[in-house]
Amino acid sequence: MSGPLSALFPWAFVVPLAPALAFVIIGLFGRRMQRLEWGGWIAVGGAFVAMLVGVLIAVGEMLTPGTYTDRSISWLTLPGNGTGTFPHGFSLVMGTLVDPLSAIMLIVVTVVGFLVMLFSIGYMHRDQGLPRYYAELSLFLASMLGLVLADNLLQFFLFWELVGVCSYFLIGFYYAKPSAASAAKEAFLVTRIGDVLFLLGIFIYFQQFATSGPGAGWAASGFLFVSHGAPFLAGVPIANSTLFTIAGLMMLGGAAGKSAQFPLDVWLPDAMEGPTTVSALIHAATMVAAGVYLLAVVSVFIGFTATDQLVIVAIGGFTTFWAASMALVHRDIKRVIAYSTVSQLGYMVLAVGAGFTMVGLYHLFTHAFFKALLFLAAGSVIHAVETQDLFKMGGLRKTMRITSIGFLIGALSLSGIPPFAGFFSKDDVLASVYQAAQSHPAYWPFLILAYATVFMTAYYIFRAWFLAFSGDHPRDPTLPHAHEAPWTMTVPIVILSALAIVAGLLAFVPQFGGLFRAGAGFLPTPGVPPTYTTSTLLLSGLSVGLGLTGIATAYVLWGNGRVFTLADNSAVQPIRRLLLERYYVKAGVDWFGLRVAYTVSRFLAFVDEYIIDGTVHGFEHLFSELSTRLRRVQSGVVLDYAAYVVVGLAIFLVFLYLVVPAFPALGGG
Amino acid sequence: MLPILSLTLATLFVGTVVTFLAGPRAKYVAAAVSAVFLVEIAAMFWMFTWPAFGVGPAHFAESESYAWIHVDWLHVNYTVGIDGISLVLILLTGILQAVTVAYSWNETKQPGAWFGLVLLTCLGCFGVFVALDVLLFFVFWEVVLVPMFFLIGYWGGPRRRYAALKFFIYTHVASVTMLVALLVTAFYSHSPTLDFASLQGSAATLAVPTQVILFLSLFFGFGVKFPIVPFHTWLPDAHVEAPTGGSVLLAGLLLKLGGYGLIRWGLEILPTGLSHAAPVLYAVAFASIIWGAGVSLAQRDLKRLVAYSSINHMGIVLLAIALDTSLGLLAAVLLMFAHGIVSALLFMVSGSVHHTFGSRDLATVNGITPTAPTLSTMTMAGALASLGLPALISFPAEFTALLATWDKLGYWVVIPLFTLVVTAAFYIWMMQRLLFGTPKGIPADAHDLPYAEALAMGALVVLTVVYGILPNLLVHWITLSPVAGLP
Repeated sequence: MSGPLSALFPWAFVVPLAPALAFVIIGLFGRRMQRLEWGGWIAVGGAFVAMLVGVLIAVGEMLTPGTYTDRSISWLTLPGNGTGTFPHGFSLVMGTLVDPLSAIMLIVVTVVGFLVMLFSIGYMHRDQGLPRYYAELSLFLASMLGLVLADNLLQFFLFWELVGVCSYFLIGFYYAKPSAASAAKEAFLVTRIGDVLFLLGIFIYFQQFATSGPGAGWAASGFLFVSHGAPFLAGVPIANSTLFTIAGLMMLGGAAGKSAQFPLDVWLPDAMEGPTTVSALIHAATMVAAGVYLLAVVSVFIGFTATDQLVIVAIGGFTTFWAASMALVHRDIKRVIAYSTVSQLGYMVLAVGAGFTMVGLYHLFTHAFFKALLFLAAGSVIHAVETQDLFKMGGLRKTMRITSIGFLIGALSLSGIPPFAGFFSKDDVLASVYQAAQSHPAYWPFLILAYATVFMTAYYIFRAWFLAFSGDHPRDPTLPHAHEAPWTMTVPIVILSALAIVAGLLAFVPQFGGLFRAGAGFLPTPGVPPTYTTSTLLLSGLSVGLGLTGIATAYVLWGNGRVFTLADNSAVQPIRRLLLERYYVKAGVDWFGLRVAYTVSRFLAFVDEYIIDGTVHGFEHLFSELSTRLRRVQSGVVLDYAAYVVVGLAIFLVFLYLVVPAFPALGGG
Repeated sequence: MLPILSLTLATLFVGTVVTFLAGPRAKYVAAAVSAVFLVEIAAMFWMFTWPAFGVGPAHFAESESYAWIHVDWLHVNYTVGIDGISLVLILLTGILQAVTVAYSWNETKQPGAWFGLVLLTCLGCFGVFVALDVLLFFVFWEVVLVPMFFLIGYWGGPRRRYAALKFFIYTHVASVTMLVALLVTAFYSHSPTLDFASLQGSAATLAVPTQVILFLSLFFGFGVKFPIVPFHTWLPDAHVEAPTGGSVLLAGLLLKLGGYGLIRWGLEILPTGLSHAAPVLYAVAFASIIWGAGVSLAQRDLKRLVAYSSINHMGIVLLAIALDTSLGLLAAVLLMFAHGIVSALLFMVSGSVHHTFGSRDLATVNGITPTAPTLSTMTMAGALASLGLPALISFPAEFTALLATWDKLGYWVVIPLFTLVVTAAFYIWMMQRLLFGTPKGIPADAHDLPYAEALAMGALVVLTVVYGILPNLLVHWITLSPVAGLP
């Protein structure tokens, strides 16, 4: 309890507060001082303070692992009245929870957040509306950190929605572009489906644990994850009951929306309409990982049923393969990386579903760095050549040395080549699912899909690297002459490159690895990275072999400036077209939104106008006929009302005084 | 003790009369009256203490009772009093009166009459929220209709006469039904007076079927105000033709009269009736929720869209009331307050879009953000609040309502839950068309918000955020009502 840095734990709220303050300052005064470009540096400052405190807290948690809740303030309190589901009422609270899981996330979010903010200074300087950009990005960072430190499910949901809306605004940052506005809408609505499921899951948990059993008192205490240093619901068995299975599936639904898992994955590639910095921070390293974090938190503090686990493994395993397949053919550099993100998130979901929660978080940790690196490097390229089309690029390694090496390190890491970070975590995922499959044969197909994806991953990312950086010169001669980016952009790339090399090895450092062990202490399955030692040499050999084969294939087809063109009559052309059309899911979603939903609603509006209101008009005509006749006696609009009133009254009185007494069963007389 | 409720009624009455007579200077009088009203509301909060239970009309705080009409067969009193529910709705009245006055600061068409009618509407609403006698309640209830009729009929759009008449007739039929049902309840059960408390005591002696029938009559009477499907078609017409200030009061306050009436004079007088009629209310609530959301999606007129979304939101209020649990009531009152603030904001947005761009048609006015960034920000705040974004006011209300629904009705909750996606869809799509994309249909002289309008909307946005972050500021007071929680 009393490590040298644990005194900082009660101050954890400073971490989200710093960027929140930056948001307020930029939001209030940004537009007025647009010329001075200081808004960006305030945002960088807020992110820096968050990183400083956040990393110190994480280090404190490494030195003295445990769970610390603090400063839970009451947000909405219902006093109980002794009856109903909540006899003692309930309390919804906001607070901070420092535990191994949030410590891992704190490092990821604050470090990547700070580096992306810094990168933005150079990357965004040509754009309009910068105060808005930095305000929204700061609000995002604050919300994300509020989510990471949430000490109960409702707070988690609250910030979950806030990061969603920040993502909406930032995807639509170039709002004058119709495609950006449309992508923002799509992202909001698709994730909203997940959010609604998430909410239903929360309701089920709240109600189930509120009244009876060892969970009683959970409601009155604010539904806290942790109380007195231990998970509140520890020892509450999660029976394989239908209700808990449904609740778990609802959590998966929420996670699938946020983490773009099949079938809610369609929005993430389109989200690339936002600035590349946004893609790096929100749509690669942090927000999309929130879904995985949610699954981890639920598995640690509440628990999944066996059925849930199988479904989670299936969704994760399938998404891994499904998304990677689409990355094989696309030519937009950001989209390729976006599909890769969906696929890698699938690995994390797979590991959490198999019961190896901390392995999933381990991959989340390493992935955040190498994926942010890939995006920032891609951003540096886009900044230099002003196109995102891989087929127009080429030969950029000569002019953009730091960027090309950074991208290469990211690609090697993603492909799972030792000793880069991705190797350790991805190998752990595969090894842990292999272990779980020993006792759950139903996991096998998804393990096989995950292995097949290793090959595809290495192929598509090196296809991108070769297309952009190898060869002698750009394939499109009209591109502007590329040159290396300013220091605000290269420094983040260099730092992330270093992290993409060492982040995997960090798990072997006892203190850092201790975070994973401490987190796993709550879990029924003690799956702790590095499980590397437990995996057989054959498994690792297989995955590295697949990765190297993928790289070699990419080299043969695309290396040294080559462009591989598939013959028009090739048997795989239909598959290529299917992948380019994204399995027609996007078309299906658009068809549903624009045709089905809109047509149904037009039909409802028609019924509303002509049938319901038409009936009203019918009565109007009836009464105006009546009143026209009555006007012989007296004229005036007031009589119209009187006619209504009299008729209505008469019917009512007849009913009450004649009909009701006539039937003693109605209580008359 | 200071008779704060009567004092407030008196100041509002005098203020209204003076405003009517003040001509071009009416806005200053109206602003002063609004300020005094807000101070008096603050005093009500300050004086609000929870009196002991069961002593006469002392279920209510700050209550006063004087004999009004006493003949041998009829005892009508002037009885007023408040509890947490009315207190919160009175706060809403004060806020909306102030922002409506601010928003219409530059009104030039008969300003004396305009501001006087605005104040009279709020006076009526305040009266409805404090009245604890059937006849007194009905008088205030009718007082509200008249100024609204004129606000729509004189300051409204091209079809204003039709809309005003439809509004008046529709709601008047409903209020007569309501009055008859309340009087029948009183006379049938031999209630000694028409006071709330005596009515509450005697109504329980009625036979169950009678209670059910009376409750359903009351439900119709109050339901038209909500409005409930299928008696809702007066609402879009009234809103489309109403001037902005009229729409703000109509959506923000008048719809709440229905919800308040159903709680106070329906649920609390005839609880047995409610418990037997609940399935009917659920069905109507679900229909309103689905219908309001579904029809909103097809709307091209911004104001019609907001009007139909009100039907959706008030459907959730009805659902929460019909649950008849303390959680549900809390949710219903929170939702009414939230909807009052947010719909007022959105109707102001619609009005300002109309003034600035000459049209509210989402197909012809696009991409207004570069021209009117402040208006665009207000639109976003209103739309996001209305679709239930956390940290804004509707979220705690909707969350509580849905939790209460799950608690009582189980999986039926998926109906309101999934309409949340539709609600998000029509607001997000509205924002995409109106705010983003290529600018279209922007007149050359278009400008951002005038100060008065920006001030009114800004105040509402601040309230949306403050109560969204600290909902306990409201919940605390609501739960002081006997029905909504405390033992």
